[in-house]
Amino acid sequence: MSIQDQLVIAGRAFRSRLLTGTGKYDTFETMRDALGASGSEIVTVAVRRIDLDAPGDDITAYLPDDVLLLPNTSGCETAEEAVRTARLARAGGLPDWVKLEVIPDPRYLLPDPVETLRAAAELVEDGFTVLPYVLPDPVLQKKLEEVGCATVMPLAAPIGTGRGLKLRDTIRIMIEQAEVPLVVDAGLGSPSHAAEAMEMGADAVLVNTGIARAGDPVAMARAFKLAVEAGRTAFEAGIMEEQAQAQPSSPVGGTV
Amino acid sequence: MSSIVVNGKDESLQDGDTVSALLERLGLGARYALVERNGEPVERSRYAEVRLEDGDRLVVARPVAGG
Repeated sequence: MSIQDQLVIAGRAFRSRLLTGTGKYDTFETMRDALGASGSEIVTVAVRRIDLDAPGDDITAYLPDDVLLLPNTSGCETAEEAVRTARLARAGGLPDWVKLEVIPDPRYLLPDPVETLRAAAELVEDGFTVLPYVLPDPVLQKKLEEVGCATVMPLAAPIGTGRGLKLRDTIRIMIEQAEVPLVVDAGLGSPSHAAEAMEMGADAVLVNTGIARAGDPVAMARAFKLAVEAGRTAFEAGIMEEQAQAQPSSPVGGTV
Repeated sequence: MSSIVVNGKDESLQDGDTVSALLERLGLGARYALVERNGEPVERSRYAEVRLEDGDRLVVARPVAGG
C-alpha cells in the first residue's frame, strides 16, 4: 500500500482505517482474537485505579505489541480531569496520544464541547497528539483543528447504541470541510454502517461495541475490517451518481 | 510509623521506600502501573529514584478495557 493510501495521523502512517476499542468483551482472550482479526493498529484503553485488594489481570498482556495504545479520558467530566488523566497515562509509559472524551451526561454519554475544546487546547500545548470525541458540529470541528487536534471524531449515534449514522448529514458537512482526518466514532453497530461512513469519505472509523457485543466477535471483527476496506475502496473508486429515473442496463431495441 | 495513602487506603511506609519498592510490595508487576504522587504524575523512568515520604497520597492506576 502506498503512503497515499494510508491513514496518516500526526505524521504517523497506518494501513488500517479501523480503530478499535477494548471494552465490553466477555474475556480478554476473545478481545485479543477479535483485535487480531480486525487488523486494527490503534486500540483504545481506559485508565482506572487499580483495586489493590483484587488487582486482576493486566489487559496489556492480551494486546499485541505492535499496536498503538490510545488512552481515553472516559469518566472525566471536566477539562481538568481529562488533562490529569492524559498526563498520568503519558508519565506511566503509555503513548502521548489521547482520545479525549469529556462526558458529563450519563444517559446518552454526549461529550461537553466547551470542556473538550478547553482540554484539547491545553493538551496540544503540552505536546499530546489529541483525538477529540465530539457530537457532529462543523463549527466545533474548525475550532478543534485550530487548536491543533490531530483528528476530529464525531459520533454516528450515542456510544453503545449500534444505531448507525443517525447524524450523517452533519457528518457529511464535516467531511467536506475537514483539514485533519475525520474518524467516525461511536454508534456503528454493523459493518454496513462502517462501510457507509467510509463511502461518505470518512478517513477512518472507531468501533468497539459493534464488535465486542456481536454474537461472534472474532468473525464480526473480520467483517468490519472488510467493510472498512470496501467502503474506502468505493469512495476512492467514485460511487455512481443517483438518478431519479430508471436507466436501462441492456440495449434498447433490437429485441428478438 | 510512617504511612502513606494509596488509592484511598492507608499503607505503611518503610524507610527508603521508592515508588518501585512500593509497587513491588503491593504485588503490582504490571507492564503499566501509572503513578500520581500528591497530584502530580510520576515519570516511569523515575520510579526507582523517587523516594516516598510520610503522608504522601498516591494514586496508582493502569490501562483497562475501554472504548
